[in-house]
Amino acid sequence: MTILNMLSFGLLIAAFVLAFARMIRDPRREHRILALDRVVAVDLMSTLSIGLMILYAAVTGQTVFFDVAITLAFIAFLGTTAFARYLEKGKK
Amino acid sequence: MKYFILNIILAIIWSLLEEDINASNLIIGFILGHIVLQLSRRALGPSPYLYGIFKAIDLVLYFWVEIFKTNLRLVVDVLTPINYMKPRIIAVPLDVTSDAEITALANLISLTPGSLSLDVSADRHVLYIHAMYAEDKNKVIRDVKGKLERRLLEFASPAKDNS
Amino acid sequence: MNLLSEILMFIGAFFMFVAALGVFRMPDIYMRLHANTKSATFGVLFLVSGAAWHFWEIAIVMRAIIIVIFIFATAPVAAHMLGRAAYFAKAPVWKGTLSDDMKDKYDPKTHELAGIQKNHKPTTAKSKRDKQDD
Repeated sequence: MTILNMLSFGLLIAAFVLAFARMIRDPRREHRILALDRVVAVDLMSTLSIGLMILYAAVTGQTVFFDVAITLAFIAFLGTTAFARYLEKGKK
Repeated sequence: MKYFILNIILAIIWSLLEEDINASNLIIGFILGHIVLQLSRRALGPSPYLYGIFKAIDLVLYFWVEIFKTNLRLVVDVLTPINYMKPRIIAVPLDVTSDAEITALANLISLTPGSLSLDVSADRHVLYIHAMYAEDKNKVIRDVKGKLERRLLEFASPAKDNS
Repeated sequence: MNLLSEILMFIGAFFMFVAALGVFRMPDIYMRLHANTKSATFGVLFLVSGAAWHFWEIAIVMRAIIIVIFIFATAPVAAHMLGRAAYFAKAPVWKGTLSDDMKDKYDPKTHELAGIQKNHKPTTAKSKRDKQDD
């Protein structure tokens, strides 16, 4: 693994940490945390894990991770839309 | 549509002349046949297929240039501590009518210059967008309508140009 | 592994980091959606094209194209649903927001969105009285 690959991994993991922190709490604490903020963070985390999988596949040469990334993209989209739909219609 | 079939037939003829039907020969034949069709456009008469391809290229190129620009701007905005944002929620009146065109326009707006489509009104005449750099509200509307929607309309109904 | 694919993947990782930083520090939910939609999809595009260049087999390239098309098709839809839901949840907009054309446009009962002309006013004393008359 070269330096550039390590840097890419580092950036992606830092991004993951930031998204996770965003999911746990609002750093600005100006207003209440909405459930939707967490959904946005989870959506970003799924995109980030797709990126991590593809990077891992390229570094180790295991092409199976491409299939996993496709499946994860499907499931993440369904999850996000289901959450948005639920939060919109759920509260009567 | 007639010329599209003609183009495919030309591609097959090209690969038959090469004595081997495979993907690369078919693609080369398709491109060469398309060039021939474009050259003889005046003789063949107006057709949406032959004109539409330029509109499609125009739309795709514009889309990629804009997506590069908006991402670089977002990078500058996120990485520097100063906020340059001037956000607004803007109602954009729509000229496109069919559902497919509205969907395409909303998706293109979401991916391009600093704007995010929020919702379409129930009567399908207004699209509400959240624009990030909107000091001048009318300029954003002009940009969306004049650049993106015009290209999309020209691509979706190219027959209008021929008249 | 050649240099071009490494550089492409590094650019992709950088854009995804920018997306995460944007989601972390943007002041309101609509701008977080901006960062999430644009930078993250752009980062995936670069990462996937770098990986596809690295392998350069037809099966992998097809999968890469499928991933890119799928991400580019779904990210705006997800952002649209989230933005709509956020507006219903009365998510606070940033104090720097200059104007809001969408105010009072939603029917609070049916979730129907009006055009430019008419407004759905929130239920006032007058409208309640009208209902009693009916």
